[in-house]
Amino acid sequence: MKQGSVRAVSSVDDSITERVRDIMSDVLQVDRKAIDESASRDTLAMWDSANHLTLVLALEEAFAVTFDVSEIESMFSLADIVSVLQDKA
Amino acid sequence: MTDRKDRAGSAAAPEARNLQSLRDVVTQAASNQSHRRLVQAARALFEADSGAGTVRFLARVAQGTSEDGGGLRPLRVALLSSFSIEFARDALVACGLANGLRLTLYQAPFGSFRQEILDPGSGLYSFKPQAVILAVEPNAWLAADSNASSSAQLVSEVEALARVFRERSGAALLCHNLPLPRWPAPPVPDEHLRAADSAAFTAACNEGLRGLARSVADFHVVDYASLVNRAGYDRWFDDRMRLYAKAPIAQAMYPVLAREYLRHLRGLVGLTRKCLVVDLDNTLWGGILGEDGVDGVKLGPDYPGSAFLEFQQFILQLRARGTILAIASKNNPADVEQMFRGHPFMALKWEHFSSRQIGWMPKSESLVAVAKELNIGLEHLVFIDDSAFECEHVRGALPEVTVVQLPAEPSQYVQVLAQDGWFDAASVSDEDRRRGELYQQREQAENLRAAAGGNLEDFYRDLDMELTIAPVSAASLKRAAQLTQKTNQFNVTTRRYSEGDVAKLVADPGWVACTVSVRDKFGDNGIVGVMFAGEQDGELRIDTLLMSCRVIGRTVETAMLAFLCDHAHAKGIARIRGMIIPTEKNVPVRDLFSRHGFSGADAGSGGPSEWLLDTATAPVAYPAWFRLSIDEAFGHETGERARRVQR
Repeated sequence: MKQGSVRAVSSVDDSITERVRDIMSDVLQVDRKAIDESASRDTLAMWDSANHLTLVLALEEAFAVTFDVSEIESMFSLADIVSVLQDKA
Repeated sequence: MTDRKDRAGSAAAPEARNLQSLRDVVTQAASNQSHRRLVQAARALFEADSGAGTVRFLARVAQGTSEDGGGLRPLRVALLSSFSIEFARDALVACGLANGLRLTLYQAPFGSFRQEILDPGSGLYSFKPQAVILAVEPNAWLAADSNASSSAQLVSEVEALARVFRERSGAALLCHNLPLPRWPAPPVPDEHLRAADSAAFTAACNEGLRGLARSVADFHVVDYASLVNRAGYDRWFDDRMRLYAKAPIAQAMYPVLAREYLRHLRGLVGLTRKCLVVDLDNTLWGGILGEDGVDGVKLGPDYPGSAFLEFQQFILQLRARGTILAIASKNNPADVEQMFRGHPFMALKWEHFSSRQIGWMPKSESLVAVAKELNIGLEHLVFIDDSAFECEHVRGALPEVTVVQLPAEPSQYVQVLAQDGWFDAASVSDEDRRRGELYQQREQAENLRAAAGGNLEDFYRDLDMELTIAPVSAASLKRAAQLTQKTNQFNVTTRRYSEGDVAKLVADPGWVACTVSVRDKFGDNGIVGVMFAGEQDGELRIDTLLMSCRVIGRTVETAMLAFLCDHAHAKGIARIRGMIIPTEKNVPVRDLFSRHGFSGADAGSGGPSEWLLDTATAPVAYPAWFRLSIDEAFGHETGERARRVQR
């Protein structure tokens, strides 16, 4: 988990963040505006363990990547997800 | 028409239209509550993309429609599994929508499939499913000491569960067969190897499950092994999700699984297609017959002719399984006939097509003519064409017709037509296998009628019809249930029954459940009619009376009512009560009771009408032109007498 890398936001990272927010909004059925920088499983009630797997699988499909289980278990906030995806890029 | 410009267009079109615009069409149709357009739009989207986002979108649209279907066919499906199957839900509901079904799902916690079936108070039974999918992995069937397990043990465990279920529910049971082991044990005798790890064990289990489909009513095998086989183990399964989340199937494979389920579920609601209508140029052969000539079109051992030849052979297979074939082509009829008669590599023959619409009329008119000639509904047609133009035209003009647009590459044709299994009934009966042939016979019978110059009685006598009425038996149960599901036109109540439901009626002594078969000079039509009637309050009440459209207009229905009069007489019942529940399709049956002397309310109000006949004063008699064979088990005097006299 390299949360530090989120701070240095490039335009590429921006576009990753925006795509992740789109997918989160669709899977979790939450308004996009509710998914802010600090969005996490603590702030979004819909983000339960079943939806977490659905979200992870949707991200894998959208970004054409495969996560290890250790990564799946580290992706519990918007920032964490973006961080893992950046490492994959 | 199928020129090369069209073909280029067909290849480019799906790319040009983006998914969002396809979604917009779906949303629009849903808000207009135009269910035919909705199904068509959902199918177009599902064909263009079956990714998780699209599937989720379609599932939500489906869930937004009313649970009773609102024009879609409602169906309650329970998923029982040994693994987490919840990730299949969206794909199944989405694929259902693309097939015209509004699915309501029940899902038991994974691993609880035994309890759900064994406990009469389980959520499964209170859900009242119409179909139950039993998705169980090999390991979950096997006892812990599986070293000692035999395939016979596994099959008998499935059978025991299936029989308990059958006592408690009339729902169809769809059971996965077993995929091959991923790392099969070497085929050598070694008592230390787990039997279950051998390919031979899997094959024996699957053979046993096929046997259950014959011995347990309404038990069907989902050919899961073939799905895994086609995709390959490494693509089908996701070991990570199997071990981490008990969800072994890879995300991308759920739409494939859903398609396979749907080929069974369509059959259960009578949505199995009956007839394949083919375009000719660039569909059955490469090139344009009118331009390239018989010698110039591509068909034969070398590519691209080999692709078209294989496609023809596949269509021939469909015919052998009971699909009716027809042609809708813009061509000169003489050219086409010359092609069929004269080309050395035509696998499909002129006689294989029960309706041939060849000319320069719009294809929508050709399709209407096919439906009319074969006496089936437009919703039973699948139309294939390589031309984007023709496909769009038919989709727009006839939303009931299923349109399959062939891709630019002919080697993909078989895959595109095969993947949905449009023509697979839940189970193939002998009548299905012979259907194409039967329609050919009927065509001959109709020519004969024309030749008889309008004297109907002479026509009937000339047909030399033998009518057999027998109680529904173990052998005919499947066909009887299938007819209740498929018959729309000559059907007084259009009540749909599963094999399990029919088995219950047969076992009830207060009911008569029988099949009607007709043989004539052209051949054996097989079972063409079904009657269910129950005794209640001193009346014989007709619950179901239906007849296949292939024998409409031969007075078979008069004989069916005569049978019921005899039956009432034999049981000492003085009245027969019939009911007409009007539907869009059953116009041909509406006057059945009124023209046979029943008294009752006119069906003009649009709602159900009830009809009564006093069997003592006005019994219906068997028409004289039938040779009768009434099963002795019924104990009818008239039937006996008629048989003695007329045979």
